[in-house]
Amino acid sequence: MNREAIGGSIWARRGVAAMGVFGLVFLTVPLAIVIPMSFSSARALTFPPPSLSLRWYETFFGDPRWMEAMWTSVLVAAISSAAALVLGGLAAYGLRRGSFKGRDWAEGNFMAPLIVPTIIVAIALYLALAKIGLLGSLLGLVVAHTLLNVPLVMMVLGVAIREFDQRIEQVAWSLGASWGYTMRKIVLPNLAPSVFAAWIFAFIGSFDEVIVTSFIAGKYETVPKKMFNELVLEVNPTITAVATLLIFFTVLALAAVAFILGRAGKLKQTLV
Amino acid sequence: MSDIRLEGVTKRYGTFAAADSVDLSVTQGEFVTILGPSGSGKTTLLSLIAGLNRPTSGRISIGGRDVTEATAQERNIGLVFQSYALFPHMTVLQNVLFPLGVRRIGGAEAGRLARDALKLVRLDGFEGRRPSQLSGGQQQRVALARAVVFKPDILLLDEPLGALDRKLREELQVELKQLQRSLGVTTILVTHDQEEALSLSDRIMVLDKGRVQQVAAPTEAYLKPANRFVAEFLGIANFVGLPDGRQGVIRPERVRLMAAGQGLPARVVEAIYLGQMVRYHLALEGNQSVVAAVPFLGAAHAPGERVSVSWESADVWPVT
Repeated sequence: MNREAIGGSIWARRGVAAMGVFGLVFLTVPLAIVIPMSFSSARALTFPPPSLSLRWYETFFGDPRWMEAMWTSVLVAAISSAAALVLGGLAAYGLRRGSFKGRDWAEGNFMAPLIVPTIIVAIALYLALAKIGLLGSLLGLVVAHTLLNVPLVMMVLGVAIREFDQRIEQVAWSLGASWGYTMRKIVLPNLAPSVFAAWIFAFIGSFDEVIVTSFIAGKYETVPKKMFNELVLEVNPTITAVATLLIFFTVLALAAVAFILGRAGKLKQTLV
Repeated sequence: MSDIRLEGVTKRYGTFAAADSVDLSVTQGEFVTILGPSGSGKTTLLSLIAGLNRPTSGRISIGGRDVTEATAQERNIGLVFQSYALFPHMTVLQNVLFPLGVRRIGGAEAGRLARDALKLVRLDGFEGRRPSQLSGGQQQRVALARAVVFKPDILLLDEPLGALDRKLREELQVELKQLQRSLGVTTILVTHDQEEALSLSDRIMVLDKGRVQQVAAPTEAYLKPANRFVAEFLGIANFVGLPDGRQGVIRPERVRLMAAGQGLPARVVEAIYLGQMVRYHLALEGNQSVVAAVPFLGAAHAPGERVSVSWESADVWPVT
């Protein structure tokens, strides 16, 4: 964003800056409370912590049910993000490069899971998966997470594909390269930073998901689903340790995205 | 090296015809320019010849082979765009090697061919650079080398010099012409720049609203335009009445400018100094305006001055 876009007045600029700072504080205060609490030695959730310890991290890593939830989360996130990457990438390419009847309709349909309230998607998936007998299965969970993450992938890759001059591909074809060869040797190497970013977003999107998962996962526990259940049953400080770990890995992943896109000069185009 | 034939080539988008029954025959080794304003359908036509698009009807053949339904990959063409379209993640050498790799030409032979092509465009020594480290003119030279390194049957150029500044454009025009002549490759260039069309081509095809207006050698198209559109699109046209009532076109260089009292009386409206030439906008009797271009030899007529003009009736070409 440039200064002219906000307005030339110094008060307007200060106003925007103040709102920005307020927003940032509003978003980070919960983190500032959760992170110290996870290192607390107290038996219950208390703030500020009376003294520091790693007991809740020990509880987390020592609890096989937490470890199993972690494994389920990682497995589902890994498979569904890879599937979303392939499907969303192909869809984005087709929608950006193709010109066919019903293109806008198709794009709207692909993006719907992002726009429709999640609870509605959750109910729809519950009914659909029940019908085909995948309700409560790991495969059903992977299918649902893939569906939820395709729009994220399409958004990131759609921008990248639009920014990539189609004539570069056309020249490659004219030089004799097949579509697949052009994809492998020309398009993907140039879109690699965005592909990586899209994959991270999809992975986090799946790892984070709680609403749809609660509806359809059945006996399977993912980390966020278990956190939610723990909160309902008993207030256990273990979840603050889990939350801190999740925050740490999310920040790390997003920093990696920012670094790679920034180096490719694509950060602004993707995020703005 | 092949000839190109278009027969009744039409491309419709809905009811709009971007190309409308276009016939063109380009002989082997010929340099033909498709010239037209933006929206005339010239780029559509080029993409049809390149195989990036299929015509709604009509036939396209290259070297006697019907390629109407062939893909771009199957046509063996060299393609150069205004935007260079170099592969950004590859070095200059890798860019030029690309079409050879696709054709399974590798090793020493590929290296030799690529280096020869780079020498041809005077870029030897730039092999290891990336496109982003080159100027616009250099990038376009790489694109040219990449387009000719595999000895394509035909070369297609889409406004190749459009993104360059004037001086560089003129330099590259000369180089392009020499390159094309030395390779003897059949070439079609698309441009909206009439000067470029006149200076580079063996023949010009003038296109307007998807329809062919005229196909002729540059001098013929300039001096004997087929219609009013061609006359006005190729430089400045003076329209004068002919004795038989028709309209005729005469070019500014063919209008003689003299002291008052020797020919048709005229008044100088504007005198524009162009370096070698001065262009006079003149008002004749009956408010008819005429443009004359005369060599600048030290003194010029000032606006408001009374002069007179004349021309040879043989220099007036009747148009409809």
